[in-house]
Amino acid sequence: MTLGLAAPLVLLTAGLVALPVLAHMARQTPRERRAFGAMLLLERVVKRLRRRRRVKDPWLLLLRALAMLLVAVAVAGPVLSYPGGIPEFGGSGRVVLVLDRSLSMQLVDGGGTLLQRARAEAKEALVGLPAGALVGLVVFDGEATRLTASMTADHGRVDGLIDSVQPSGGTSELRRALVEARRLLAGEPGEVLLFSDQAGPRMVAEARAEISLLVGAGNTVIPFPIRGDPPRNIAITRAVYGDGLEGGQVTVRLVNYGPDPLEVSCEVVLPDGATIPIFVDVPPMGETEDRITVPTEAEGGVGRVSCDDPDLGADDQRFFHLPRVGASRVLVIDGDPGDTPTRSEVYFLERALAPWGGARTGLTLDVASTVGLESLDAEQHRVVFLANVSDPRAYGPRLVEFVRSGGNLVISGGDNVTAERYNAALEGVLPAPLRAPKSLADRSEDGIPLSLPDTRVPLFAPFSAGGRAGFGRIRGNRVLTFDDYAETESVATLLSWDNGLPALVERRIGEGRVVVWSGTFDLGWGNLPLQAAFMPMMQRLVSYLGAEAGVAAARVDAVVGERVSLPLPELAVEPIVLGPEGVPVRSRVDGSRLLFIPEAPGAYALAMEDGPVIAWTAVNTDPVESDVRSYEDVARVAREIDPDLLQRRVDLGRPAMGLGLLLLLLQVLLSLRGGAP
Amino acid sequence: MGAEAPVWDAEVLARVRHLHMRARHLTDALLTGPHRSRRVGQAIEFADYQEYVPGMDLRGLDWRVWGRSDRLVVRRYEAETELPCTLVVDLSGDLGTGETSRTAYPPLEGSKAGYAIMLAGTLAYWLHRHGEPVGLEIVAGEGMQHRSLPPRGGRSHLQSLFLQLASARPSGRADLLPALSRVGGRLKRRSWVGLITDGMEEPSRWLPALAAFARRGADVRLFHLHDAAEWALDFRSPALFFSPEGGDALAVDPGGAQEAFEEVVREYVEEVRRGVVRWGATYLPVSTDEPLEAVIVRAITGPRLEGR
Repeated sequence: MTLGLAAPLVLLTAGLVALPVLAHMARQTPRERRAFGAMLLLERVVKRLRRRRRVKDPWLLLLRALAMLLVAVAVAGPVLSYPGGIPEFGGSGRVVLVLDRSLSMQLVDGGGTLLQRARAEAKEALVGLPAGALVGLVVFDGEATRLTASMTADHGRVDGLIDSVQPSGGTSELRRALVEARRLLAGEPGEVLLFSDQAGPRMVAEARAEISLLVGAGNTVIPFPIRGDPPRNIAITRAVYGDGLEGGQVTVRLVNYGPDPLEVSCEVVLPDGATIPIFVDVPPMGETEDRITVPTEAEGGVGRVSCDDPDLGADDQRFFHLPRVGASRVLVIDGDPGDTPTRSEVYFLERALAPWGGARTGLTLDVASTVGLESLDAEQHRVVFLANVSDPRAYGPRLVEFVRSGGNLVISGGDNVTAERYNAALEGVLPAPLRAPKSLADRSEDGIPLSLPDTRVPLFAPFSAGGRAGFGRIRGNRVLTFDDYAETESVATLLSWDNGLPALVERRIGEGRVVVWSGTFDLGWGNLPLQAAFMPMMQRLVSYLGAEAGVAAARVDAVVGERVSLPLPELAVEPIVLGPEGVPVRSRVDGSRLLFIPEAPGAYALAMEDGPVIAWTAVNTDPVESDVRSYEDVARVAREIDPDLLQRRVDLGRPAMGLGLLLLLLQVLLSLRGGAP
Repeated sequence: MGAEAPVWDAEVLARVRHLHMRARHLTDALLTGPHRSRRVGQAIEFADYQEYVPGMDLRGLDWRVWGRSDRLVVRRYEAETELPCTLVVDLSGDLGTGETSRTAYPPLEGSKAGYAIMLAGTLAYWLHRHGEPVGLEIVAGEGMQHRSLPPRGGRSHLQSLFLQLASARPSGRADLLPALSRVGGRLKRRSWVGLITDGMEEPSRWLPALAAFARRGADVRLFHLHDAAEWALDFRSPALFFSPEGGDALAVDPGGAQEAFEEVVREYVEEVRRGVVRWGATYLPVSTDEPLEAVIVRAITGPRLEGR
C-alpha cells in the first residue's frame, strides 16, 4: 500500500500548519492592553477556565494544526494505492477469458463448486465488456484448450461456450493456458482475465515466465481469485501396497488442507471386492499415514482407497496395484530332489516363480513330494507342477479331477518320467499320449534350439515388446515325445523345438489346462533354467494358467488428464483399454505403443477382447492438485513485473479537504465556547 | 495627606465648582423631606404617646390627656441631636476604570472614581443641607494617605470636603481591611457611614473590617460600585487585561469568557451582600450608569433592610 501525491510541491503549503500555532501563540499574548477594574473577578474566571483549558488548549492547537495539514495535503492531491481488487478492464477491446477447470475447481464452497463460480464470474465479466470488444476463451487443466479458434465479437457464442465448460480431474497448467491466451491475442495488446483458484505450490510459480512475457508485451493479466473461504479439503495422496503382516499392507496417506482436525471415515476396497473400513485422524494442515493389512488371500488387480469429504470429492479416492496374494499358490511335486541345485527342478522353479520369497510376484510356492497330492485342493493351488515325478498313477484320479475342476497341471520331462505310467494315470487329460524320451543331441553338445514363440498366442503376447529372441537360446538335448495328435480348439502346440518336435503342448479341459513341457526344468535335458527367457516364461506360464495376474500383467501408474503410453505386444488383434466402468476408452496406437488419456481416476485395463489383462493402469489425480491452498498470487507476480499493475487507487483529496474544513469548523466552535481567541 | 492639594489649581477649582453645583442641583431636586434622627428621647419636638407603665419617669406624664381622658400616657419627643456622618470613599486604582458612568467630569469621565466622587459630594451636600456634620475618609487615591476630615458642619468645612474630593485621583491599593478598620475605630458612636467602594478585594479579607463599624453602632450604607460594562465583560476583542493597582495581566477573549464571568459576578455579589448584611450594614449595589438621584433616594429613604 502506497500513498502518493499528484502535486507534491503543493505540500509546501503544509507550512500553513504554522498558522494555527502562531495564532495559538498570538492568542496567549494579545496586543491590546486594557485596564480593568474587576480583575478579582477575572482572575476567578481565568482560574475556572484554565482548569478546562489545560486539557482543551493542546487539543485545540492540535485540531487547528491537523486541519491545516489536511487542507494542504488535500490540495496536493493524495492518492492511496494498494494492491488488490479487480481493476477496470475491457478498455483494450481485446480480452481473453481463461477458465480453470482443474480438479481443485471442483471444491464445494457456499453451495456450489468453484468452477460454477468461475463460470458465473466469467459470464458477468463478459457482460461488462464493451459491445464489439473481441473476446477469446481458453480453458485449462493439465492441457490448455482454445474454445474459440480466434478472437470474436460474438459475445453470445462465448457465453454459451462458458456454459459448456465441464470440470476435469486434471492438474492446473496455467502456463499452457497463458500461452494459448498469448496466441489468441496474436501480438496485439489485450487483457487476460484469469478465473482460477490459483491453488497449489506449482501453478503460479511455473507460469511466472509466461506472465512476464504477457505483461512485457503490454498485456494485462487480471486475476479473479475464486477460492474457498477458507479452503478445506481432505485428500488421499498416496496408496501403495508393500510387504507386511499376513498378505502385506497398503500404506495410505491422508492430507488435511483445512484448518480443523478431522476424523475421516475411509475404506479400502481390494480388487476382489473385499472392503476394509478404517477411521483416520488427520491434523489441521497436516497429514497422516495409516497401514491396512491385506488378507492372506486376495486377487491381484487394482484396489481402491476412498474416504468421505464433502468439500472436494474428486481426490477422495486413490487406486493402487495389488498383486495376487495367497490364492495364487503353486504346488511343485518334487519327483527328483537331486543332490545339487543344478539337478533340482524345484531349485530353479522357486527362483523363477517366487524370487525374493514371492513378495514381488505375489506367488507362493509350495513344494511337496507325491504325498502332497493326497490333499490336492483346486481352491488352494491353482497350478501343480509334476517335476520329474516317476509314477503319478496312485494320484491319477485326483489329478484328473483337479484339472476337470479348473486346476492346471504342468508336466515336465525327466529321467524319472515313464510314458506308460503317465499315460495310465492321466488318460483323457493329456494333450496326447506320451512316448519314450528321445535324445536330440549328446550332453556335451549344444542341443536343438527352441523355435521362437508366436506372440499372437496369448501365452507369449507379452514378449512381443521384447524378450522373444531369448527363446531361441533355449536348447534341448533330450525330450519327451508324443503320439501323433491333431491341433484342435482344445489341443495346441505352444512351442516347438527347431526340429519340429513339440516343446510345449496344451490341452484345455473346461476351465482347467494340462501343459506338457517336453524338456526338464533343471539342467538334466537342456539349458532352459540358465536362459534369460526362463523366468519370464515360467511366470507368464503360471499367469497364463490363471494363477496370478501379478508380474505377468504390466503395472502402470498414471495421472488423470495426462497421456498414458503402454508398450504394445505384437498382436494380430489390437487390444483395447477398458475404463473404470468397463467401458472401452478412446485410445490410439503409436508405433509399438498404445496411447490414451484417462479422464477420470480408476483402474484401466489393457486387454484383448475376452483375453487376459495385459496391463493394469492405476489412474489417480495429481496429489499437488489436492492442495487447495494459495501459495503465490498472479496479481503479485504481475505487480513484481510492473509495479503499476493491478493497483487500486483512491483519491483522498476530497475526503481530506472535507475533514480539514470540518476540523476548522470544530475548532471555531470550541474556541468560541472556551474563550480562546 | 502627603502633599497638599493645590487649591489654586484652576482645574481643581473648576472641579470643585462643578461638584458643588452638581451636588446642589441634585440635592434640590430631591425630596426635601425631614431628615430624622434615629434616636428618640427627651428633646424639643413631640414624637408620640406611650402608655404609662409603673417605673417610668413621672415627669413625662401628660396631665392634660389624663384630665381629658383619664388615661396615663407619657409624652415622647424626637431628639434632634446632630448625626455625625462619615463618607468613606474608596479611590484605589481600580476605581479609575469604567466607561459607563454618566456622572463625572474631566478627566474622570465614565470612570467609577468619577461617579464615586460625585456620589460622595452629593451626599455630603445633602447631609450638610440637613444640618448634619459630615466627614470624609478617602481610602487610597493618588497622593492620598487616608486623608481624613472628621464630621463637622459649616460651609467652609464643606468646601474643604469638596476640595478634597475634587483633587483626588484614583490610584494605589485601598487595602480595605486595615483602612476600614482604622476608620471604624475613629468613628463616634451611632454615626451614619456611607461607604463607597468597588470592593475589589477578596470579600473574606475585607468584610470583617465592618465589625469595627458594627461595634460603634454605626448605620453603615455600603455603596457597592461597579461599571456595568465591566461586570458584563462587554468588550469586543481579546486583550491583555490588567489592574491599575498592579498584579499580573491576563489575556482573555471576552466573547468566550462572558458566560463564566457572569456566573462569577453573581457569586461574588452574593458573597459581598451576605457579608455586608451579616455585619448589620445596608447593601446598596450601584451601577455607574444609574442616575445619582436614584441612588441617593435609595440611600436615605430606602429601608434599612434593603439588601437583606
